[in-house]
Amino acid sequence: MNDLMVMVEIAGRRCALNAHNVSSVIELGVVTPVPRTADFIAGITAMRSQSLTVIDCRRALGMDPDKFPTDHRGAVVTIANHSYALMVDRIDDINTATSEVENVSGGFGPEWSRITTGMVETSTGPALLIDLALLIAGPESLEVAA
Amino acid sequence: MDDLLADFVAETREMLEASEGEIIAWEADPTDRARLDTIFRFVHTVKGNCGFFDFPRLASLSHAAEDALSDCRAGRREADSALVSAVLAVIDRIVEMVDIIEAGDEIPEGSDDALIAALGENSDLAAGEIDGLSDLVGAVEEVAAAIENAEDGAVEDASDDQDTPRAVSQNAGVQRSIRLPVDLLDRVMSGVSDMVLARNDLAHRLRQAGNQPTIDGPFERLTTILSDVRDAITRMRMQRIETLYTALPRLVRDLSADLGKQVMIDLEGGDVELDREMIETVRDPLTHIIRNAIDHGIEEPSSRLSKGKREIGILSISARQSGNTISIVVSDDGDGLNEERIAAKAVSVGLITAAERASMSRDKILQLVFEPGFSTAETVSNVSGRGVGLDVVRDNLERVGGSISVSSTPGVGSMFTLKVPLTLSIIAGLTVEVGDQRFAIPQSYIEEIIDSTSKSLDFTRVGETALITFRGNRIPCLSLAEVLGLPSTDIAEGEHTMVLLRLASGDLFALAIDRIHHHGDLVVKPLAPAVMNCGVYAGSTLLDDGQPILLLDVTNVAAEHGLVSDARTRVLQAANQQDQDTDEVLSRAMLFTDYDNRKRAVRLELVQRIETAKAEDIDISPDGKRAVIDGVILPLVGLPEGQKATGKIRFLRLSDETCELLYAVREVDDAVELQNALKPVDDDPLVEALTLVDGQTIALIDGHEIFARYGEPPELTSKPTCHLPDSDWARTILGPLVSAAGYEVVSGSDEAGDIAIVLDDSEPDTSLTDGEFIRLRSQPDAANNDGSIYRYDRDGLVDALRRARAGGKR
Repeated sequence: MNDLMVMVEIAGRRCALNAHNVSSVIELGVVTPVPRTADFIAGITAMRSQSLTVIDCRRALGMDPDKFPTDHRGAVVTIANHSYALMVDRIDDINTATSEVENVSGGFGPEWSRITTGMVETSTGPALLIDLALLIAGPESLEVAA
Repeated sequence: MDDLLADFVAETREMLEASEGEIIAWEADPTDRARLDTIFRFVHTVKGNCGFFDFPRLASLSHAAEDALSDCRAGRREADSALVSAVLAVIDRIVEMVDIIEAGDEIPEGSDDALIAALGENSDLAAGEIDGLSDLVGAVEEVAAAIENAEDGAVEDASDDQDTPRAVSQNAGVQRSIRLPVDLLDRVMSGVSDMVLARNDLAHRLRQAGNQPTIDGPFERLTTILSDVRDAITRMRMQRIETLYTALPRLVRDLSADLGKQVMIDLEGGDVELDREMIETVRDPLTHIIRNAIDHGIEEPSSRLSKGKREIGILSISARQSGNTISIVVSDDGDGLNEERIAAKAVSVGLITAAERASMSRDKILQLVFEPGFSTAETVSNVSGRGVGLDVVRDNLERVGGSISVSSTPGVGSMFTLKVPLTLSIIAGLTVEVGDQRFAIPQSYIEEIIDSTSKSLDFTRVGETALITFRGNRIPCLSLAEVLGLPSTDIAEGEHTMVLLRLASGDLFALAIDRIHHHGDLVVKPLAPAVMNCGVYAGSTLLDDGQPILLLDVTNVAAEHGLVSDARTRVLQAANQQDQDTDEVLSRAMLFTDYDNRKRAVRLELVQRIETAKAEDIDISPDGKRAVIDGVILPLVGLPEGQKATGKIRFLRLSDETCELLYAVREVDDAVELQNALKPVDDDPLVEALTLVDGQTIALIDGHEIFARYGEPPELTSKPTCHLPDSDWARTILGPLVSAAGYEVVSGSDEAGDIAIVLDDSEPDTSLTDGEFIRLRSQPDAANNDGSIYRYDRDGLVDALRRARAGGKR
């Protein structure tokens, strides 16, 4: 409770990223595509002298990004010593979570349940709290295909 | 005080690392004064430093070792293996104590008398030796005082023995080191990288703004400073693998002595640089494998002899950087791994079933030694086989992204290959383009780049496999666009630029790309696991403009396409290759542009080397031009007449095996195959024929004619000999003159020369030469005109020598 959340919109749904995990929000400049990898890996880009792996969150959920707008900025997160930039529909604002993480009976739908730890209430309404490690693992089916 | 203590510990450690290898080398050759000095300095410095602290046990130990060694230095005592062992034992004890000091504990009470006594010349004398020690304590204290004085700057004269120690303690001050957390280094490193990018950005903006002298100067300076700093920072993290090697001779010596075996260690590639952290990671696995090799691999001397091997086993360790991995190969010439025993053991512990075993290849079975719970040694010795097996080694290496594999031939030896990645490293790389995307290839793989315009590629497809012909060999060819699944570009098949890549295993293949972009140093950064997993990339790197590009994992790409052979077939291939090389009768030629800007070619067999010399080294005399290369005077052709050459000149050094000559060229182009018909020409005798290479007419130099006209055997080996009479005058006065005239001087009745010189009336002895006699007379005036020369008529004599030489040799 009272954790800061970065509010983003992924595939048209309001989601929350724990602000602890987000080191910065950068302009996504040129993204170099990486052939032969799973399609949710949009490519690599540079933040200062670091290289970031750009993850298209919509594809990581198995959705088609063309149906949604894409923010020109990306949220930079660090998971297991590697840095990633998350490509989302829109990066909104920072908000405070006003509730504990809760589950809803019936779940959030198979794609969403896979990448979330539950729902949090914020001042702008309920949002899905994203588990980053699960998100970057990508949809299993795609990983096998890759 | 704590700082002082930490310095002491660090310094002792450093010196120890440096001297470990020396001790073993010293044992091998006890007369080696330089090694002895190094070890002496070590114990001496330890002892001297102890003076500042209260470590009586440490002081007495180092003191005793120093005494024994100084006896050796003074020649009062021979260094034998007992002494070396004793010194080693003392050094080990010192290390133990240093460890205790570092941990901040008190050194426990105890006696080192046994160790000190072992240093004595023999056990009988031990008591007397200890008495002697007390005498020497005084002397040592003097030395210690001398050191203190030296450090205070008050250098006083001291006896001979004390000179070296003082120099050492001063030197010790120069090599200071501090320890830093790696995190901090990383931060500095990425800070500097950011600075470089900021600089690049600024450079870009400055260019847009046009020339501004007031800013450009300081900016240039900033650039230079920045690149210096970047170099230094990069080096901070890297360490030569030598630091790992220094401890190995000692390890091998101790182990082989324990096990009653004789092992020689051969270290190679010590200059390979590795991330400091990675060196620590490799240390244990490497030690483990060496232990195994000596314990299980190399046989006892008697058993080796009975198999017709040398008594002394060879353990060789070589490190090599290939791409962004370091391969460390440990090979021994022992008995090799026993396939049957490994398989039986694996079945018995339930790793595999008997049915599975039947279908497994030898190679697969050998890799089972890395499975948990494996030890095939008949008896468990105290060296290896203590339950900590190769599975731990593999786990440790895999944890850092490395790997280990083994190959072995029964009775011949086995070879362990450790591979560790460079998580952070700078490598030379080539940037290539496919479509509109760039990729980097580590330079170390690149054998050759073949331009798309070269017609000699002979691109063909056999089934789905593409092959090119290069220097008479068919080489598999991969298209990078296909490998990466990129849409193929509009460049026609076979028109691509080819990069020939040689894998660490020795296999060669070609990679078709669209364009070469540039090459330079690349900072390799790790990639996220999701990207790594696809097996095509080894890392990413940033171009100067800050754009990230991917570094290809050449080995994996090749393996994926089945282009890597395993260790055993490799040996066979190498043998075949040699056969092929000798069978090859393809005509190949070196293409060059001569000083008249004509394209010419000379048969490759004639070309020894490409040499470069300064214009000053060329001597032009009426009978031809000559140049000095490596201290040998060689005839020179190909320079235009009447034109004074300036700067540096390149030559092809041609040889017909006895004669050599230099052919000056403006530019060396490439080695090509002579595929088209040779059309003989008559107008220029120096041209053998005309031929077409890549659609251009090329004149092929006539090797026969050019050597017939200009060839000279190199000056050094071609000296004719001149026999001189046996007298002091001939030796001291005549000899040098004859030598200067280009003769080699011989004398004595049993040696014959090409020509001979006789004095006055002595009879020409025909057994001395088959050639001409030159008669010298002592009187200025000839009594009768017998063709003799006055012995101080220099011109006459030199002339006669020259004539004789011309007559004899040409």
